[in-house]
Amino acid sequence: MAGQVTSTGRTSELSNLQFALLMALPVLLFLVLVVAYPLGYALWMSFQQIVFFGGYRTNFVGLANYATMLGDDKFWWSIWVTVRFTVESVLLAMAIGLALALLLNRPMRRPGLIRTIIMLPWCVSLYGTGIMFSYLATGQTGFATAIAFFFGADRPVSFVNRQWVIEVLAIGNAWNMAPLVAFFLLANLKTIPTRLYDLAAIDRMSPLETFWNVTLPPLRFTLFVFTCITTVLSMKLFDFIFVLSGGGPGTASAVMTYQIYKISFRDLNLGYGAAQSFVLLFLIVGSTMTLYALWGRREAAR
Amino acid sequence: MSRNRLLASASVVALGLVAAGGAVAQDLKPTSGETVFFRGWQYKTDIVQSNVDRYNSELDGKVDYATVTGDYPAIMETNLIAGAELDILYANPSQAARYYDGGWVLPAESLPNIDEIKADMYPNILDAWTYKGELTGLSYFVSTRGVMHVNLKQYGELGYTDADFPATWDELYDQLYEIRDKGVEQPYLPHWLSEWYGISWGFVFEVMNRGGDFADPETHQPTLDTSEGGPAWATLEDWKRIFNDGLVPEEVLTYNESAYIDAYASGRYVFSPQQLYDLETFNRPDRSQIAGEASLLPYQGQSWGLLDSAVYLMTSRERDEAHTDDVKKFASWYGFKDQNGEIFVGQRWMQESMLFSGYKSVMESEATAERMKGALARPGDVEAVLGVYAETPYPKGIWNVVWSEEFNSWLREELQAFILDDGDIGDMLESINEKITELNAKYGI
Repeated sequence: MAGQVTSTGRTSELSNLQFALLMALPVLLFLVLVVAYPLGYALWMSFQQIVFFGGYRTNFVGLANYATMLGDDKFWWSIWVTVRFTVESVLLAMAIGLALALLLNRPMRRPGLIRTIIMLPWCVSLYGTGIMFSYLATGQTGFATAIAFFFGADRPVSFVNRQWVIEVLAIGNAWNMAPLVAFFLLANLKTIPTRLYDLAAIDRMSPLETFWNVTLPPLRFTLFVFTCITTVLSMKLFDFIFVLSGGGPGTASAVMTYQIYKISFRDLNLGYGAAQSFVLLFLIVGSTMTLYALWGRREAAR
Repeated sequence: MSRNRLLASASVVALGLVAAGGAVAQDLKPTSGETVFFRGWQYKTDIVQSNVDRYNSELDGKVDYATVTGDYPAIMETNLIAGAELDILYANPSQAARYYDGGWVLPAESLPNIDEIKADMYPNILDAWTYKGELTGLSYFVSTRGVMHVNLKQYGELGYTDADFPATWDELYDQLYEIRDKGVEQPYLPHWLSEWYGISWGFVFEVMNRGGDFADPETHQPTLDTSEGGPAWATLEDWKRIFNDGLVPEEVLTYNESAYIDAYASGRYVFSPQQLYDLETFNRPDRSQIAGEASLLPYQGQSWGLLDSAVYLMTSRERDEAHTDDVKKFASWYGFKDQNGEIFVGQRWMQESMLFSGYKSVMESEATAERMKGALARPGDVEAVLGVYAETPYPKGIWNVVWSEEFNSWLREELQAFILDDGDIGDMLESINEKITELNAKYGI
């Protein structure tokens, strides 16, 4: 990109920032269209009461939708369920992902085939995962019933109940996400020089010490990034939960996304639904910022 | 109707059709060249597709049929609001009322042969499908949901006979405990499934069967009796009792329709309130462990279940006149009579799945009588089916009103929580009346 000499003799050359902005302009415009507009529209909706019957109309209600939320027990319950589901999902996904990565990093026969098989769960749609886990976890078709019947029991064993439904959902979610985590961690593992393991052996480190001092350090940043990603994905998850448990039994698995769906599309209360969706947005942004403050900043500084 | 009169009537109709045959066929042939979009929930979609294929091939139609999976009422509502490509859809009467008030429905009154259609409908069905003085749609099916099915095999093995059949809900619950004492730990599969027509409908029909009601059919003001010992109180009291005593499986609260049917077809349960037409399913050896042994409790002074029905609705989305005419033609062909003057689709549903129709000509035909005999476990069950069906109540006060779907969704969640959290009966019943009052206020009723 060349500048040009003006009549004053000064070169009016674009600065790096100006050039970058110019190049990014189409993308910025696109983002305004696909992100800012819907976001702004949703914000506007959250201050309205939207009525479809007796003629479509909107009434400005200020912060009434947000105020209603504060006294809504179901809203607070859905936040608790969301947090519980997210924490369990993230811990499981990271643990399984790390275990798979370590396994795949070992010498093995037909590594390509094994990697492909391990990657398969990630390729299954969340809808499909929901159906599969509902079959696996309910008493009528589940594996626990099959085992119980094998040992002579005559009553089905179900995990889709108040006590365990969140755990079933978290396991299914982690099953779906863990392969992706594993492959990024595996890529990291491949960059660790083998001589470091040789040195660890010379130092007579135990396997646990080797893992802690040699393997884990280069993985930490990837672990942080994927903790953030799986947190966001878990908090905004809907279809898998809708298919598997439908927010139930009762409201046992009514996460925020399910609650927002119910309010917006079953009760057709779009204003209140939009207000709750902003709380979810802040919860997601707040969680990732907290993760960064507590963990990411430290990893980035290393 | 006697057989002679039926034959005489049929001859007159046939002669009329021969005379007017060409004109009828011409009338139902589409002319706009536009596609008619037809959507419905998942139920024997292969049959629906073959019906549509027949229309398309014989009348050169352009009907596009697809099934909608998931939360059907919510999905269709958002489609209607968005003015999506949707011309004809399945709907329950409660959905039809809501869509009508949204201005998204073209009432069946606009069909040219509406008088003939209405004349062939049973008055009670016509009343259920009429909203604000207009017939909303054409007959898809009519049934009784919540008919008390009985597994005769297990029932007989426990030493019971038809003479022991419970006549009321109270007697049923008493017998469940007797059966439990005889060694069957979970003899009952309640209508607590998680579908939108699950536990909430289960509560509505049980209360109505016991003589209660929820709202006035005209004003929609709450009428639920909240007093101790009233029908609603007794229902919830019994529900708590059987749940807390472990007589029912908790996971029924998460069942969808197919899981619910499969569970009962497994033969594990003695009683279960099920769909009337599923007697045919439970008596099919390829589908059920209790084939030939699936029967129902007859009407003995107390009704069982509620009137469950669905209609084909036409939408009022923007279309040109010729396109709208094509929509009406297909609706008439599919929801009433084909180009030969026969209720082809309605009769086919009866033959294939024992789906009852809102039309007298289907329900009173010889073919229907034969079909029912073939689908039931015992010859006497035909009479029991018709007896239960004739006495089935319809909750007009809470179904033929714009807030019906919202109320149903709320009730479903509240009842699940009530059972799981061992809720307070009085509070639950009061909250139902309060919710109805709140919804009336919301919609200015």
